[in-house]
Amino acid sequence: MSTHNEHGSGRRSPGRSPRTYRFLAAALTLSAAVATSLAPAPQQAVAKDKTVLTVAVAQSVDSLSPFLASRLVSTSIHRLTYEYLTNYDPKDAHVIPGLATKWESSPDKLTWTYTIRSNSKWSDGKQVTAEDAAWTFNKMMSDEGAATANGSFVTNFEKVTAPSATKLVIELKKPQATMTALDVPIVPKHVWESVKDFSKFNNDKSFPIVGDGPFVLTDYKPDSYVRLKPNKSFWRGAPKFDELVFRYYKDQDAAVAALRKGEVSFVAGSPSLTPAQAASLKGDKNIHVNEGPGRRFYAIATNPGAQAKDGSKFGDGDPSLLDERVRHALFMAVDRKAVIDKVFQGHAVEGKGYIPPRFSTYFWQPTAGQELAYDPAAAGRLLDQAGYKKNADGKRVGKNGKPLNYRVLCHATDPNDKAVGKYLQEWWGKLGIGVTLNCLDNVTDPWLAGTYDLAFDGWSVNPDPDFVLSIHTCGALPATPKDTGATDNFICDKEYDDLYARQLAEYDPAKRADLVKQLESRLYDLGYMNVMAYPNAVEAYRTDQIKSITTMPSAAGNIYGQDGYWSWWSAVPANSGDSSGESTSTGVIIGIVAGVVVLVGLAVVFAMRRRVTAEDRE
Amino acid sequence: MTAETATTAAPRALARQRRRAATARFWREYRTHRAGLFGLAALVLFALVALTAPLTVGSDVQSVTDAPGKPLESPSLHFPLGTDQFGRNLLGLVVWGSRVSLLVGLLAAVLSVAIGALIGVTAGHFRGWYATVIMRITDWFLVMPTLVLAIALATVMSRSLGTIILAIGVTTWPTTARLVRAQTLAVESRPYIERAKALGGGHWHIMSRHVVPNVMPLVLAQTTLIISTAILAEATLAFLGLGDPTIVSWGGLLQDAREAGAVSSGDWWYLVPPGIAIAIVALAFTLCGRAVESVLNPRLGVSR
Amino acid sequence: MTAEATPALVEGPAADPGDTGSAAGRGPRARTTTAYLRYVAGKLTGAAVSLLAVLVTSFFLFRLIPGDPVKFMTGGRPVSAQQIAAYRREFGLDLPLWQQFTDYCGKALTGDLGTSYQFRAPVLDKITEALPNTLLLTGTAFVLYTALGVYLGTRSAWRHGRLGDRLNTGLALTLYSIPSFWLGLLLIIVLSVGVGPVPGLFPTGGMESGGKEGFAYVLDVAHHLVLPVVTLVAVEYGQTLLVTRSALLDEMGSDYLTTARAKGLRDDLVRRRHAVPNALLPTVTLVFVNLGRTVAGVILVETVFSWPGLGGLFYQALSVPDLPLVQGLFFVFAAAVIVMNTLADLLYPLLDPRVGR
Repeated sequence: MSTHNEHGSGRRSPGRSPRTYRFLAAALTLSAAVATSLAPAPQQAVAKDKTVLTVAVAQSVDSLSPFLASRLVSTSIHRLTYEYLTNYDPKDAHVIPGLATKWESSPDKLTWTYTIRSNSKWSDGKQVTAEDAAWTFNKMMSDEGAATANGSFVTNFEKVTAPSATKLVIELKKPQATMTALDVPIVPKHVWESVKDFSKFNNDKSFPIVGDGPFVLTDYKPDSYVRLKPNKSFWRGAPKFDELVFRYYKDQDAAVAALRKGEVSFVAGSPSLTPAQAASLKGDKNIHVNEGPGRRFYAIATNPGAQAKDGSKFGDGDPSLLDERVRHALFMAVDRKAVIDKVFQGHAVEGKGYIPPRFSTYFWQPTAGQELAYDPAAAGRLLDQAGYKKNADGKRVGKNGKPLNYRVLCHATDPNDKAVGKYLQEWWGKLGIGVTLNCLDNVTDPWLAGTYDLAFDGWSVNPDPDFVLSIHTCGALPATPKDTGATDNFICDKEYDDLYARQLAEYDPAKRADLVKQLESRLYDLGYMNVMAYPNAVEAYRTDQIKSITTMPSAAGNIYGQDGYWSWWSAVPANSGDSSGESTSTGVIIGIVAGVVVLVGLAVVFAMRRRVTAEDRE
Repeated sequence: MTAETATTAAPRALARQRRRAATARFWREYRTHRAGLFGLAALVLFALVALTAPLTVGSDVQSVTDAPGKPLESPSLHFPLGTDQFGRNLLGLVVWGSRVSLLVGLLAAVLSVAIGALIGVTAGHFRGWYATVIMRITDWFLVMPTLVLAIALATVMSRSLGTIILAIGVTTWPTTARLVRAQTLAVESRPYIERAKALGGGHWHIMSRHVVPNVMPLVLAQTTLIISTAILAEATLAFLGLGDPTIVSWGGLLQDAREAGAVSSGDWWYLVPPGIAIAIVALAFTLCGRAVESVLNPRLGVSR
Repeated sequence: MTAEATPALVEGPAADPGDTGSAAGRGPRARTTTAYLRYVAGKLTGAAVSLLAVLVTSFFLFRLIPGDPVKFMTGGRPVSAQQIAAYRREFGLDLPLWQQFTDYCGKALTGDLGTSYQFRAPVLDKITEALPNTLLLTGTAFVLYTALGVYLGTRSAWRHGRLGDRLNTGLALTLYSIPSFWLGLLLIIVLSVGVGPVPGLFPTGGMESGGKEGFAYVLDVAHHLVLPVVTLVAVEYGQTLLVTRSALLDEMGSDYLTTARAKGLRDDLVRRRHAVPNALLPTVTLVFVNLGRTVAGVILVETVFSWPGLGGLFYQALSVPDLPLVQGLFFVFAAAVIVMNTLADLLYPLLDPRVGR
């Protein structure tokens, strides 16, 4: 064994050998390869006059079949490629014609007749007829696979027929006020007839996909992009951009960085940009940060004891939460102002009623006497009254003698849940109640099993609020513990149910709105669904790529995930299309310069090394 | 390494004396490794920071309701590293986070090495089918992609520090097992073991008195190296959102930073310090481990 | 050099000395072709057993993930118990576990890895869709970091103990201790978003801008490839460097080299002709092991750079949990390592000049 020490061996360093040269050559080739890839790809493939609107999304497409898709990105794309019977006005979201030009209900409220427009064509040239619509609905009623995504719309349908090419008749089992809000993509019968298994057909094999919306889907690559071309013969008028691309980014921050660089024209927040992102983007002169009232509410849901329609109870929600005073006390210890100021940093509105103020027709707020305002001291008194007194350690003790500790279910993918969760831990900790934050990627399981105490909850509200109201009725409970109900968190209240049934059968808008507000009031008092905030929609686009775009509501609203195709249909390209080309060529030059610098640097290093080697030899 | 095999059953005092001498010799050797000294110094520093954190920053630094600053302030005199999205002092959080990161690294490495050593020693000592089966299992664990397996384990279990420690410990032990087994085989082939057996030494005696002391140095070096892996793994799992979100750790801070949008906003001060801390500690453990290894195995000294 | 000493050569925190050790230690004293063939047969059997074991694990391990796939598939929509039962039947979830397992194994042998719950597409399709992207990324990075590692390692060993060597080793160790995702994020901030006067030179993520064809497409992909590759190379080359370096140093201390020198052969000739080829052996093993491992290790880099590869798919699948996809991907990751290890084992005796001498 030889004895070498750390600080030098007895050996001389090697001279220049052919091997050194070979290594040198190899290294140079490699760095040259790197340098080549340094140069940004020239964008000559994109013609100068072609305008492309690129939307960055942080959600991958689950399916391109309208019968299966449930993610927002997919349904947004379907909005663009398939017409629905009706649409919503961008100004105030009132119902306007879509594929149907007019509609009327029979006096007994059970038969609806729609007139289908005759000036709409599928992208393969065939006429769109009432038969297509009837076929779509009938398929959803008869084929379980086809009912996957939108089946709930047709559960109350008795029969759907198309007596003529322009006439669609839907017969109902019970009156239903939501018949002008059937958000179901109508597909071309002649294309979809041949589909065998709707639960497996993803509609992503042959392009372009035949549709009748303002855009035609021309290309799709999973986890990369979806490309759409304008439908030049669209009856409402063709979109202005030459191409619309949805590009996938794994996370929102990458998408924002891409916007900043000009790689994309628009960033859809998922659900909205973070305060830090919005603040930093505001400083960029070519970027407009669009902030509008959101359509979501952000709430703490309380487990009222999971139950099924057959009366069986399941789950393991903490029994103390069945006491209304406890629920109220918990919510009174939540400083909603702090949630707005600290977590949302002003990009949200303080929560009041169930439906966000954006939908002014249905917006309701608690009266002064009813309101559960932030008051930790009063919350403490309420808990004392309810019999949950503090023990020697300052912990409130449950009826079973154990300190109260609530499991709060949160979405691991939502930073807001985690942030508010930290606050809850401290606020409720001061009340003497422990909090275990249970953050999961996929909360479905404990949620449906009722194995939680409290949970972060939020829904996007549609212009017609029926759906978000329906999920708190007894009728939405699962039939047995083995079924899955439409219920959100197992609320079942007689008074609420009566009001709900009345509003659904009420075809007079003003009277219905009044009933909806009474529903909200009841829900507020129950304390099972405590709305903390209405997060704003915060999104951003490049003004050097998009000149103008319609928000919804048009006065101050959002762009991504509208009820309708207004934003992308209306977007006008900015004239300075060259500016991006310019920056690209600058990029090319800089890239080449950088490559050369790297090469020269390497050459110098190697030259010096060789000199040193040569000296060593002497 | 075979120098000490001359005597077999030495009196206890002699053994102690020899162990002391060995330690002194070890330290003399170790001192000659400058990188090792640097690593050791860095470790001592970080250990001090972590241990004194309750005094210097206190657990209040984690509180969101009493956060002293505004969200995402850039570095200033008051907040040398700026603030996070809750307005908490980032310097304090990095200091506080060192506790969790070091603890997880340490415990996970101890767990990993303990499993590895146990399996290695037994597989080396008991030959036959037991060793075959055990080494098959080890080999099989060895080919499992560590990160993938750790992610899978962390997903399977609930989000907590224990889960992370377990996920790292359970996935990193096979290397140690192989090394320890090889060493055990080498030790057991020495003549004095033969003699001990002839004198009636049982399995337990052989393993605890002869094998383990000889394997310990290797285990020590291996622990040091694995801590570095474990700290990186902890950061990785936390970054992927598999850690406990209510606990402040370096990886967790990076995950928070990314979720808050620090990358696209250019808020480098939120991103840089936790990463540097991870890198320094991981590097320090690696340097120490390498130094220890080369002291124990002078033949390898050539490479350092 | 004893077999037991070899493992310690592989340095660095994540090194797997056992791999090198196994190749060197259990390598045959293959003197004849028949012996080698027997050795090959043994190795192949071992690999097959390992693959089978992976299949078993991937099946059972992921059954432990909390979460009912049917409930995910129905996305909380109202479904009746009958419908749920129908779903279970469709995906074979109603069968006893052992039967699900035998079905799974049977189908896996025919290349059918099941249907993804969330994409409702064959798992094999999803994997073959993403695999080329991952291979492009890892392949490019692998070639670069191996070349860089071997080259710098050789240089370092040549001049060991000098300043150059120390800087070299120090840098390699430092880069090796950096979390790859963190480095990736920093690179995005500095080179992609741009900081101060530094312009954003590279795309922030993804693999292509879309809509390009021919050479423009190749350039576009190459452009997107730079940052992820740089990240991977930076964190990975260190290990190759250190192994090459210590193997070479080891070799340079060997008796036969001393003899060769004593015979008056020129130093560099000795090194080039004898030391380097022998010393590269552990490196070769490491190279193969690395290639297998990089495929799985790329998860982080793919996440940071939105690269549409296997890693991202795996992460997406785990959160569901999309069991068939998770199982399929896990199998692919593990199989990559097994196949590469086996290749290394098979090549080792062929390359080792001492074997058969």
